[in-house]
Amino acid sequence: MKKKSLVAGILALALVVPASAFAATPDFSKIKVALVPGGAHPYFQPWIAGGKAAATEFKIGGTVFNETGEWDQTKQNAAIDSLAAQGYNAFGLFGVSPSDINTTFSNLKAKGFAVGSLASCPGGYDIVKEPQKNSADFCLSTDTGKAAYLAAKAVITQMGGKGNLVHLTGNAVDANTIRRMDGVKKAIAETGGKVKLLTTITDIDTDLQTATKAVSDLVAAKGKQINGIVTTAYNPAVAATQSVASTKLPIKVIAIDDDPKILSAIKSGTISGTVVQNPWGQGYVGSWVMAALGSKACTMKTPGLYVDSGSFLVTKANVGTYNTTRMATSKQILKDFQTKYMTCK
Amino acid sequence: MSPLTRIRRIVGDQRVVLTLLTVGLFLYFGMKNSAFFSTDFVIYPLLRDGAVLTVIGLAQLCALSIGHLNLAVGRMAAVAALAAGASYQYWHLALIPGLLIGLVTGALLGAITGWMIVKSQVNAFIVTLAMDFALLGFVTFIYVTFTGATAAFTTKPAGMEYWRNTSLHQYCIAGHCGPRVFPMMLVPAIIALILVGFMYAKTRMGRELLATGSNLRAAKLSGIPVDRRVIMAHTLSGLLAALAGVMLAFTNGSFTASIGSQFMLPSFLGPVLGGTLLVGGAVQVLGTFIGTMLTLVIRQGLSVQGIGLETLNIALGLVLLTALSLGQIQKMFTSIRMRGRT
Repeated sequence: MKKKSLVAGILALALVVPASAFAATPDFSKIKVALVPGGAHPYFQPWIAGGKAAATEFKIGGTVFNETGEWDQTKQNAAIDSLAAQGYNAFGLFGVSPSDINTTFSNLKAKGFAVGSLASCPGGYDIVKEPQKNSADFCLSTDTGKAAYLAAKAVITQMGGKGNLVHLTGNAVDANTIRRMDGVKKAIAETGGKVKLLTTITDIDTDLQTATKAVSDLVAAKGKQINGIVTTAYNPAVAATQSVASTKLPIKVIAIDDDPKILSAIKSGTISGTVVQNPWGQGYVGSWVMAALGSKACTMKTPGLYVDSGSFLVTKANVGTYNTTRMATSKQILKDFQTKYMTCK
Repeated sequence: MSPLTRIRRIVGDQRVVLTLLTVGLFLYFGMKNSAFFSTDFVIYPLLRDGAVLTVIGLAQLCALSIGHLNLAVGRMAAVAALAAGASYQYWHLALIPGLLIGLVTGALLGAITGWMIVKSQVNAFIVTLAMDFALLGFVTFIYVTFTGATAAFTTKPAGMEYWRNTSLHQYCIAGHCGPRVFPMMLVPAIIALILVGFMYAKTRMGRELLATGSNLRAAKLSGIPVDRRVIMAHTLSGLLAALAGVMLAFTNGSFTASIGSQFMLPSFLGPVLGGTLLVGGAVQVLGTFIGTMLTLVIRQGLSVQGIGLETLNIALGLVLLTALSLGQIQKMFTSIRMRGRT
């Protein structure tokens, strides 16, 4: 009787043990994770903290952040090669060229490395329906179309559901930008013609100076016609925030990301809000997943799976608490990997 | 010639100094971190990238030989790659015919540029800059219009993988195979080096191009058809830029608008470090390869040492400045020695 109870107890315990408890078990000491964005950009800086947090918590052998790609696929490949030569064996990458990075993923996988596509998912237009076009082990990135839709809906609400909207974004020859443009158009279409897209300005995320000039020109030329601005790229977001603050025009702005200038403008009421992404979570969760794949402790149930790293609307109401929500979401995504998306020994 | 004079002449040759510097730095980086000697992750990709950048250096060298600059080399490469990529995607051409379409496109763009310089009598700097802007808009328009969200031609003709991944090691004669570190991508670069070197060293055309670059007025008075030579130099520049663009597409795996966007600086670095004059009249074809490899060895060497972006660029700039000053330093020492004798 006692023996039966003991077996039942062990079985029950096995069922209720949280996945996170398992997470610490595998030996990741031989895994060295390299987080390599396409080049220097403020968006990727939280990867460093995320990677370090994962390395400490899960006892990963090492972590490094390398931003020497200078937005050139050849230079990024060279940086990756140099890291591989130094013994790094798991790579979380944001590819410079969405169509070329798959070749890099395939090359790295052929050499036995674990590869994650962070902050972007190359391949077909619909990353959820066409994950097979992505050659990395998994993708962990913002659903850019969804984030843009969320931002556009928020600014339309602020505009009172009518008026002229401007969309400021990044590189026109980039699948993510096209998804963002579609997200904004979808939100506008839902207004039944009450909101018009005045213009979409692309290719102004190269640097803050370029973005500032473009926004200043826009506001000078059409400032009085504009009721709302939605920005889906970092530099235009900062530029739009500064421009609206200086001109004091009654333009509603929903920015992107959480630059201190943007957060300060939300607190002061200069702009309505921002849609923040989750680069910390990409670094943190991505590091664990790559370590688990690299150590052969786990395998992906669906190779190349796309997972949304989350996007969050931040307004004056939650500007002080959104980071807690974001961290909790990251932990939940990690748990989902451990329990739903991967098969572990 | 006495052995001492011969040694002095060899040591005075910029290419020899550059080669010694490149090999010295290669060994230095390798001794500091043995990872730098990795065949798969350092030497092979270094030579493969060097092949592409050498060809773009040669494209710039052709313009430099007549005292011109070609600021549109990168965009010519992009348009040529676009033409080749479209031919693979829409017409399903084999690798070589598609490559030829790319090369013809590049040569045509170069010829048009040369013709505009000759007819307008506007400085090549301005014409090629304008061409660069025009082609940038054209490339973006085509990719956005015809490829949608992918923004690339992704069809890979049979044989593309071969050029990217294989080495001479797969070719064996009497049980002896080629070196594993020798990428096949070096083959077109070597062919280009030989042909361009032969043209400038051995043919009348090459001599006339250099004479045009050295002194336009004197060349004209000597009966050289300088207008045609200017068009020829730019045609060659476009042709070689096209080759580099297609080679880069083969290396990276697809044909995108970003091809060539990073070509401008390396296109000057290789030839100028190698001894080609910016004012025209003198070229160093082999020096272009050595100069290109020097920059790549420095960059990858520092990268393997784990140096960050800012330090990497500062160190790269300092080493290149030193390399570019070598000629002046040599002259200074010679002058001091001569003064000591008198």
